[in-house]
Amino acid sequence: MAQKECIAMLLAGGQGSRLMALTSKIAKPAVSFGGKFRIIDFSLSNCANSGIDTVGVLTQYRPYQLHEYVGSGRAWDLSEHGAGVSILPPYATQDGGAWYVGTADAITQNLDYIKSHDPKYVLILSGDHLYRMDYRKMLESHIASNADLTVSVMPVPWEEASRFGIITANPGDGRIEKFTEKPEVPDSNLASMGIYIFSTDVLVAALEEDAIDQRSSHDFGKDIIPKLLGDGKRLFTYEFHGFWKDVGTIASFHETSMDLLGENPEFDLFDKSFPIMSNDSTRPPHYIGPDGRVDDCLVSNGCRILGSARHSILSTDCVVGERAIVEDSVLLPGAIVKDGAHVVRAILGENAVVEEGVKLGSVDMTKDTAVVGNDVVIGKGE
Amino acid sequence: MINRKAIGYITANYTSKENSVLLENRPLASVPFMGRYRLIDFPLSNMMNAGIRTVGVVLPNNYRSLVDHLGSGREWELDRKKGGLFLLQGSAFGTAKKGMRFLLRDIINNRMLFERATEPYVVMSATNIVFNMNIADVIDAHERSGAGVTMIYKKCDRSLDDVGRLIIGDAGRVQSFERGCNYGDNEFLDCFIINRELLLKICDDYASLDYLDVFEATKNDYGRVDVCSYEFKGMAVGMFNEKTYYERSMEMLNPDVMHQLFTHERPIMTKAHDTPPAKYSSDSNARNSFVSAGCRIDGSVLGSILSRDVVVEKGAYVSNSIIMQGCVIKRGARVENAILDKNNVVEPGTMVCGTPDHTLAVRKAPSEN
Repeated sequence: MAQKECIAMLLAGGQGSRLMALTSKIAKPAVSFGGKFRIIDFSLSNCANSGIDTVGVLTQYRPYQLHEYVGSGRAWDLSEHGAGVSILPPYATQDGGAWYVGTADAITQNLDYIKSHDPKYVLILSGDHLYRMDYRKMLESHIASNADLTVSVMPVPWEEASRFGIITANPGDGRIEKFTEKPEVPDSNLASMGIYIFSTDVLVAALEEDAIDQRSSHDFGKDIIPKLLGDGKRLFTYEFHGFWKDVGTIASFHETSMDLLGENPEFDLFDKSFPIMSNDSTRPPHYIGPDGRVDDCLVSNGCRILGSARHSILSTDCVVGERAIVEDSVLLPGAIVKDGAHVVRAILGENAVVEEGVKLGSVDMTKDTAVVGNDVVIGKGE
Repeated sequence: MINRKAIGYITANYTSKENSVLLENRPLASVPFMGRYRLIDFPLSNMMNAGIRTVGVVLPNNYRSLVDHLGSGREWELDRKKGGLFLLQGSAFGTAKKGMRFLLRDIINNRMLFERATEPYVVMSATNIVFNMNIADVIDAHERSGAGVTMIYKKCDRSLDDVGRLIIGDAGRVQSFERGCNYGDNEFLDCFIINRELLLKICDDYASLDYLDVFEATKNDYGRVDVCSYEFKGMAVGMFNEKTYYERSMEMLNPDVMHQLFTHERPIMTKAHDTPPAKYSSDSNARNSFVSAGCRIDGSVLGSILSRDVVVEKGAYVSNSIIMQGCVIKRGARVENAILDKNNVVEPGTMVCGTPDHTLAVRKAPSEN
């Protein structure tokens, strides 16, 4: 096969355990977001919009719906001869088989896939981040600085810095001087976004070395990057400005969803210059009833709104019954709020049902966002 | 489940007998309906849901919009190695003649589709009456009956002149086929099943009458051909001109009616687009309306159907109207009792209004991009 300039490896095997009920049955990248999208749409669309035509999607945790959703990659124009999406779950060999035990291990186990495409560069991504990014610009920066590894970074608020991999870089040329994974006392607020471009030979050597290191946890942030830095390799930052979110928790999932609403949101789903593509389910337009009221909402196809929805996101095929009220909430596909029910500051999982007259959630911001798992029915007294 | 018993044939090459700005650049088959659909989606989806995986579509001379919509036929499971979508040549100028749906000449010209098939039956359908029906059941009933043809009809619920009426005798046998229907008559849904071998024989035997509709050409021989009937008890929506198009669309503004067409068990498929959900601001007031993805609603929308990517600005007012893809209703503009074809921009403060009896239809505007 002809050599490719750059292929992407998309890490989509994580459980997303902090999303609790939302990921009890499906992998985090397959969780619905923004009404008609699923979280993995954003990374796959970024690849397509950046002209990257070869994407390995590494899956592990509850992969069935994710596999079905990604399919051939056609929905993102990523279905090409000798390219396109390849789904890469853990597999067996003559020596046995093993689960992916870390981000680096997952890539190590698929080095054959990378080698078969023979790319000059490998882009490593997470399948669970929300952002728009033209990876070509990052690749240009990687090539211009003759880097071995380029890490995409963005400044984060100091108080949140200890949640991230924190980087100290030379302000002049962006060369990375120090990398600390989740430091207790951060000395920089430049955070790694978990987006890496490696020169392939450097990546292969680093992974092969890491694979036989008994003390390694086989993680890019904890092991690979510090090791490359220690070896004096050329590591550079690529500074990203714009919207980027890891919706890792229920609170951030809710908050990030709400950020899509209002006038001129920072992350505008309507921006056609860089479209977010999705594997659309063909459903008819939504219906607003004679007494329906929709105020500051995103409403997807197939919905039926007979009551009121305010400052909420209604995904495909949701129902808001007569006299029902939905406020400050996210209804995932197929969620039903029956007549007279009142749902406030809640996330309803796919096909969840709130029975007639039930009150769910609280406006009290000191309380947690209410979460109803997929397929769960909330009746009176629950 | 793939149905090995039948192939499909859709006549998409005729227009309405009345002129309409909606049909200036497109055949009836690609007229938008219910926001995101086009009329041909319904026969195609019925065939798909019946497991039919070989469908021939007879193209009109103005086929651009239709071919763009159909693509490879993938949405209807027709992008495949065995079988698939066949685009067929139609008569040069379509068949605008009143009542014409299944011109024999087109069938003869495309007989290769029927000769090459191995399936014993052909489901033939027009595009101007939309319904959601389990066609597989009809194929089975047709097979059990042993008839040569099974015509699908429903009990007519209004007076219509541009449809066919079946006179049905004993054992559901069709005795004759007339034009025009009144309440209670057997209204032909322009959809039937025919034995493939019989169809080929008709091509030979009636070749001299090839300028006629197949039911006209054979009208003295229904007994010999053995024409049977099958009643459809669900909802069928027929569109024959601007007036019926508008009226039938408005009747869909009732989710219980709408859900007879759009069920989960037999989905209606259409070409997919990457459009975000519709966005409503706090200034919006939308009631009793169907709104498609990609719309931005800041004004009032009452009793209307909006296709995707329609913008209704703050202070704009839309009522009792059908607004097609990409239209922009600017601040303070007013649209009532109107059909706006694609990409129309209604400037601030402008009024575009018909009356309840005379709908105003505005032709498609050139796209900006």
